[in-house]
Amino acid sequence: MPIVLEQLSHHYRSCPRVSVALEDISLTIHDGELLALIGHTGSGKSTLAQHLNGLLEPTSGRVLVDGEDINQKGARRRALRFRVGLVFQYPEHQLFEETVFKDIAFGPKNMGLTGQQVDQRVREAMARVGLDFEEMKDRSPFELSGGQMRRVALAGVLAMQPRVLVLDEPTAGLDPRARDFLLGDIKRLNQEGTTVVMISHAMDDVARLATRVAVLEKGRLVMQGSTLEVFSQQERLAAMGLDIPDGFKLARRLRQAGLNMADHVHPEEIADALAAAIRGGGGDAA
Amino acid sequence: MLRDITLGQYYPVDSPVHRLDPRTKVILTFLYIIAVFLVGNLWLYLPVAAYLAFATWMARLPAGMMLRSLRPMRVLLVITFVLNLFFFSGAQELVRIGSIVIWREGLLNALIFTFRLIFLVTGSSILTLTTAPVTLTDGLERLASPLRIIRFPAHEMAMMMTIALRFIPTLIEEADKIMKAQTARGADFETGNLMARARAMIPLLVPLFISAFRRAGDLAMAMEARCYRGGEGRTRLHQLKYGRRDALALLSMLALYLMILLPGWLA
Ligand SMILES: Nc1ncnc2c1ncn2[C@@H]1O[C@H](COP(=O)(O)OP(=O)(O)O)[C@@H](O)[C@H]1O
Ligand SMILES: [Mg+2]
Repeated sequence: MPIVLEQLSHHYRSCPRVSVALEDISLTIHDGELLALIGHTGSGKSTLAQHLNGLLEPTSGRVLVDGEDINQKGARRRALRFRVGLVFQYPEHQLFEETVFKDIAFGPKNMGLTGQQVDQRVREAMARVGLDFEEMKDRSPFELSGGQMRRVALAGVLAMQPRVLVLDEPTAGLDPRARDFLLGDIKRLNQEGTTVVMISHAMDDVARLATRVAVLEKGRLVMQGSTLEVFSQQERLAAMGLDIPDGFKLARRLRQAGLNMADHVHPEEIADALAAAIRGGGGDAA
Repeated sequence: MLRDITLGQYYPVDSPVHRLDPRTKVILTFLYIIAVFLVGNLWLYLPVAAYLAFATWMARLPAGMMLRSLRPMRVLLVITFVLNLFFFSGAQELVRIGSIVIWREGLLNALIFTFRLIFLVTGSSILTLTTAPVTLTDGLERLASPLRIIRFPAHEMAMMMTIALRFIPTLIEEADKIMKAQTARGADFETGNLMARARAMIPLLVPLFISAFRRAGDLAMAMEARCYRGGEGRTRLHQLKYGRRDALALLSMLALYLMILLPGWLA
């Protein structure tokens, strides 16, 4: 179920002035990939995310899901939202039910599933995000810790079993442990076949998970490519005020120190190359 | 969707009216409203209209904007006119359509009442168009402060209004976000009967209230951290001062009163 954006533009019109949030974006999200969307605050990332499941309508351009224009007349946008799950920033602020079970069941219920199916979906979704069903199902979502609330909110979207999952800054405001948990969940989901679009400011997280990276600046898509291709262009990213992952910084420092070290996405690879160099073996370092 | 609502219709330009003391503007508006109610003869709306035009011109407000303030009132205006036209009997018959009679007095009354509404709404909108909400509450607080003798909490009321005004846009934004998030989970806010729609609001209202309480708690904490202890002995950043401009504005109002009242006295 690929999602294709064709020359997508979005202008917010808040009375007197019009702000251009997206301009002429053409981007394809392939099946099974984990695309990271990065960019400075206000570059239009969240706006783009809301176009992927038809929450916003383009000012111009088209969004094709499975080859079908989701904004044409008669498009079944509600059904689309069950296939493209969107987890907003700070999703725990949208919890509202008395119990964890009921909150996670909200999506599946809206899909019109039977009680038994809903129950099944909730169990699966909770297992996916590492919440114990029996222990948690009857607790109030408001008495949980921040990390747990976020996982309940994520489970609420996963329970609809979307084929594409869009996450807007999923780890913002979490402590390192909760963050690691969540990133692990996301990685596992992707490995099991869910396409993931992840917006993030944490470049290390991006390097750890992403298969491809797209960069937005002032509403324009300025770079896209493999993680290695994008982060190798440190000067361009720095000009946009964007950081690079620690691994890339390390490789750069090693090069400045006179080593012949190539860029690597994962710090482990650099460690290996470095170790090999120290032992006097092959590797890129010499 | 929700963002389209504009609240506090302040029109930010620099004009002598904008620079008037907010207290003067509140008093002027109050006097203006009384003046409009004193008009009992269609001709006497002429000075009122002239005054309104003068004030609009002085305030550098586009005339179209003044007329737009009438738009939400259009149904009420039509009802006022029609009711007065048909349900007021008098002595002089004007038109007769079957059993329905329109009397001359009915027509005059309909016109007077409709114009009264028009002038009230457009006139008082000058106050909100030329005064920033926070300045306005500041002025109201100062005007109401003599009432402190009878234990009227003027400062507290004004602070509440200021905070409420400050947070309206924030809450609208928040509601928009929550609504989208629930829509992404298949919530449907737009179809169904009244009951279904009311129930559909729960996923929006609960998080909205929780967030409002959270913000209120944070704000209270922040105010306390800066030693806020109510209005007692509190000095102000912006001192209000009456100037010559305010005196002139009040004189212009006196002129309006003379024009409205003199014909009656002379007759
Ligand atoms: N609801 C809205 N109304 C008006 N302008 C908006 C709205 N949401 C975002 N914007 C503007 O659109 C631009 C892009 O915002 P956003 O998509 O939230 O960026 P990001 O998620 O990358 O920080 C910003 O300039 C922002 O001010
Ligand atoms: Mg954002």
